[in-house]
Amino acid sequence: MIGKDKIFSTLEAILKKSPAEQTEAVLIGTTSALTRYANSTIHQNVAETDSKVYFRTLVGKRMGVASTNSFVPGDLKRTLLNSYYLAENQRENPDLPELPSKTPYPKLQTYLKSTASFTPRQRADKVRRIFKKAAKYDLDIAGSFSTSQSEVAVVNSRGVRAYQPLTGASMNVIALSPDSSGYAEGLSRRVGDLDFEAIADTAIKKCLDSKNPQEIKPGRYDVILEPCAVGSIIEWLNYIAFGARQFHEGTSFVSGKIGKKVLGENITIYDDGNDGGGIAFPFDFEGVPKKRVYLIQKGIAKGVVHNSLTAIRDEVESTGHALTPEYPEDPMALNLFVKGGNSSLRRMISSVERGLLITRFHYINGYLDTTKALMTGMTRDGTFLIKEGKVKHGVKNLRFTDSMVRAFSNVVTLSRERQVINSWWQDIGCLVCPAMLVKNFNFSGKTEF
Amino acid sequence: MKEKIKTTVSHLKRSGVDYADLRLVRKTTESIAVKNNNVESLSRDENYGFGIRVLYSGAWGFASSSIVTPAEMKRVADEAIEIARASATALKKPVVLAECDPYVDTYTSRYEIDPFSVPLEEKIGLLLEVNSILLKDKRAKVAKSSMDFYDTQKFFASTEGALLEQEISESGAGMEVTAIEGGEVQKRSHPSSHGGDFATRGYEFVKAMDLVGNAERVREEAVALLKAKPLPSAEATIIITGAQMALQVHESCGHPTELDRVLGTEISLAGGSFLTLDKLDNLQYGSKVVDITADASLEGGLGSFAYDDEGVKAQRSYLVKEGKFVGYLTSRETAAVLNQRSNGTMRADGWNRLPLIRMTNINLEPGEPSLEELIADTKSGYLLDTNKSWSIDDQRLNFQFGVEVAWEIKNGRLRGMFKNPVYTGITPEFWNSCDAVCNRKDWHIWGVPNCGKGEPQQVMHVAHGTSPARFHNVKIGVSR
Repeated sequence: MIGKDKIFSTLEAILKKSPAEQTEAVLIGTTSALTRYANSTIHQNVAETDSKVYFRTLVGKRMGVASTNSFVPGDLKRTLLNSYYLAENQRENPDLPELPSKTPYPKLQTYLKSTASFTPRQRADKVRRIFKKAAKYDLDIAGSFSTSQSEVAVVNSRGVRAYQPLTGASMNVIALSPDSSGYAEGLSRRVGDLDFEAIADTAIKKCLDSKNPQEIKPGRYDVILEPCAVGSIIEWLNYIAFGARQFHEGTSFVSGKIGKKVLGENITIYDDGNDGGGIAFPFDFEGVPKKRVYLIQKGIAKGVVHNSLTAIRDEVESTGHALTPEYPEDPMALNLFVKGGNSSLRRMISSVERGLLITRFHYINGYLDTTKALMTGMTRDGTFLIKEGKVKHGVKNLRFTDSMVRAFSNVVTLSRERQVINSWWQDIGCLVCPAMLVKNFNFSGKTEF
Repeated sequence: MKEKIKTTVSHLKRSGVDYADLRLVRKTTESIAVKNNNVESLSRDENYGFGIRVLYSGAWGFASSSIVTPAEMKRVADEAIEIARASATALKKPVVLAECDPYVDTYTSRYEIDPFSVPLEEKIGLLLEVNSILLKDKRAKVAKSSMDFYDTQKFFASTEGALLEQEISESGAGMEVTAIEGGEVQKRSHPSSHGGDFATRGYEFVKAMDLVGNAERVREEAVALLKAKPLPSAEATIIITGAQMALQVHESCGHPTELDRVLGTEISLAGGSFLTLDKLDNLQYGSKVVDITADASLEGGLGSFAYDDEGVKAQRSYLVKEGKFVGYLTSRETAAVLNQRSNGTMRADGWNRLPLIRMTNINLEPGEPSLEELIADTKSGYLLDTNKSWSIDDQRLNFQFGVEVAWEIKNGRLRGMFKNPVYTGITPEFWNSCDAVCNRKDWHIWGVPNCGKGEPQQVMHVAHGTSPARFHNVKIGVSR
C-alpha cells in the first residue's frame, strides 16, 4: 500500500507537468494473496504486490490513455506524455465531455486491518481444518481462499481527489466424492466474518446428499435457484443489458423499453455502491460518487448505468459507473442487488410438487440472443430432485437453454434472506441475491455425471 | 538486469529451496478500437515486474512484485519461501518435478513489420475506412473494428542453471457489424468474432486480413440475416468452418487434455476433465480422420514460443492420433505423475501469475478434401460459420455452441442462410461422427487471445490450426 498522501502528492506533481488541457490519473494498488487447494492439499499459494497508474489526457475533443505499473516519477511522467501523444494523434470525438469536477463522496469503512494482516499460515490453518472435517466422510476438498488489501485513487486537473483503501476476503469450497460434489462460498471485507465452518458444512452436506445421482430427462421443471445460481444469471444480465452501451446499441432486452414492464412484478434489481450490505465502493474510476440506480423496479425497466461520456449523450448525469480509462464507453454496474421476497429456502422447497434445487451454474453464456436474454449453461456441484415438498436425491447435471426475460417473469417466490456472492469485480463489487422459485425453467440437454 | 536475477537465484539456493525459478517480464500493449466512425479508445500499457516460484520442503510458494530492485527481489524471494512453508503444513505428498535440461538461450519471434513502428494515423485510418464501409446500409447500426498489439520480453532463470531470454511480438485485428430492424438483431464478423484473429507476427498479419476488402460482404451478410429463418431443430450433417472449429477444438479437446485439470487442480474454477488417466491410450476420442496435435514450435501461431515458463523447450506432440486419445498437455510436476518429461505447456499471464498448463497451438491436422469438394459431397446439411456463444460442462462433455450464420447445403450446393444457429453434443460422440477434415489449403492457425483459467484468473494467448470438418447426426437448433 502506497498510501493516500504519497499517491496524491506524487500524482499532483506529475499532473502539473501535463501539456494537455485536462488530465486525469487513476491508481489501483494491490497486495493480494491466494491459497488454492485440491485433493485436500494446498497446491498453489501466491502473493502479489502491484500498482497500476492510468493517465487520461484531453486535447480539445481528443482523448488518449496510457498506463504503467511503475510508480517511479520518471516512468509516470513518460506515461503521461505517452497519453498526450496518443491524444494528439487521436480523432475528435464530438461527444467527449470535460473531466468530472470535484464532488463529495460518502465516507465508507472498507478497510479492515485484520484482513490486511492475514498471513499464509493463517490461511493454511483454516484450510487444514476443512480438509480434516471432510476426511471424516472420506471426501476431498478443492477451492481457494484469498485475502487482499488494495487502494484506488483518482486525481484530475479539475480538482477531483478521491481515495479509498479496501480489503477483501473470499473463500470457495467444493467437497468431492467419486460421483458427487457440493459447493459453498463466502465473501466479506472482514476475514473474520467468513464463517469457515458453515461454508465447509454446506459443501460437505451437498456432496453427501447428492451421492449416487440419478439421470432425469431434460424438459421444463420448476426450479429453486439458490443465491449463487441467481448471481451467475444476474452477472450475465448485467453484462448484456444494464450498461448504457448495450442499451444504445439496441442489443439489451431493455433497449427502448424504459418505463415498460419487462420482467415479473416481484423482480427488482438495483446497483448501489454505497450499500454496506454488499462490497461497497463509493466512487467510480472517474472519481464520480456512485448513485443507487434502479435497473428493474417491480418488473419495470427503469434505467441503465452511465459514465461521463454516455451520460452527456443522454443529457443525464453520470451515475458513477465508469470503468478504468481504457474502457471509456463501457459503464458497468458493479454492486448489484436483487430485492428479496418474503419466503425462505425451506418454505420454497416444501411448496414444490416436483422440481429441481440448483446450487449453482457452470459456464453460462448469454450471447445466444441478447434481446431476449437467451442463455445457456450447466448445473454444477449439487443439483437435486424435489418431490412432494422434499429434497429426494441428487440428479445428474443438466444444460439449461432459456430466455431469462421469460424465466424472470415466472418467478413465484423469493427468499427474504440474501447472500453476498463473489463477482468478476473482486474487491470493488459483488452481487447480493436471494433464492428464487421459478416455474417452467427449460433444460435442453443432459450430461453423464 | 541479469546480475540482479543471478544474485536473487543465488540467494534462493543459499536459502535451502528444493527448486526455484524467477521470471521477469516486461509487456507493452497497444489497443485501438473504432465504433461507428469514432475512435472510442486508444491506449497503451506498459507492465513490468517479476515473480519467484519456490519449491520448499516439497511445497510450492509464489510471490511477485512490480518494484524491480535488489532489495525487493530479496524480500519477495523470502516471502515466496515463507508461503511455501505455509503450504507445507497442508500437503499430502511432496511435489516431484520431471527432469528438464537447463537451457541457456535467447529467442526473438519473427515479424516483417514492427506493429509499434506503424504510424497511428495509418492504423486508425484503416479502422475508420472499414467502419465507414460497414455502415453503408441504414440497417447496419453498430460497426466496430479494432487492433491490438503486444510486445513481451521475458527473462527466466532457475536454480538448476537455466537462463533464458525471449521476446515475442503479437498482432491482431478484426471487425464486426450489428444489423437491427424491427426488433431483430444480427451480427457478422471477420476474420473471426471476439476481436478477430491474432498471431505471433507483425503488422503484416493485419494487412493480410484484407479488412477493407471483406467489409462489404460482412455488412451484406449481417443485413441478410435479418430476413433469414431460424435454424430448425433437427439431427443433421454439419460442416463447421475453420474459425468455429478453432473454438470447438479449444473447448472440447484443448481444455480436457490439460493434465492439471485431469488431476483435479482446476476443479475450483473451470472444472475437471472426462479424459481421466485410465483413458490414456484406451479411448477412441474421435474417428480415424481426427488427428490433434499440440505444437508450440509452429511458426507464427498465437501459442508459439521457444521455451515455456518452466524453461522447457517448445515441442510438438500428439493428443489424439487416428482418433485415439494418446497424450496430455503437461508440466514438470504433472508429467512426473506419468513418469514422463514435460511437453512444455506451462505459461503465466504475466510476471505476477503462477505458470499453469495452458494450450499452445492445439491443432486439428488437415485431411484430404477441399472445402468445395466436401460441400459437393454433402447431400443434405448445413455449413456453420463464426462463433457467437459457447458453453461446456465442467468435465468437458456436454457442449453447446452458437454461431453467427448457417447456410443450407442441398445436393452438394450452398443454399439460403439461417439465423441463430445452435448445435450441441457430447464430446467423444461428436468427434467420432467426424468423417472428413479439409486439407491444408483451407487450414489456418486461428489466434484466441482470451483463454481464461486459474485463480487468480489468468488470460492466455493460444491458437488452433484448423480447417473445416464434417460431422453427422448432430443436434442443431436446440429446443428452448
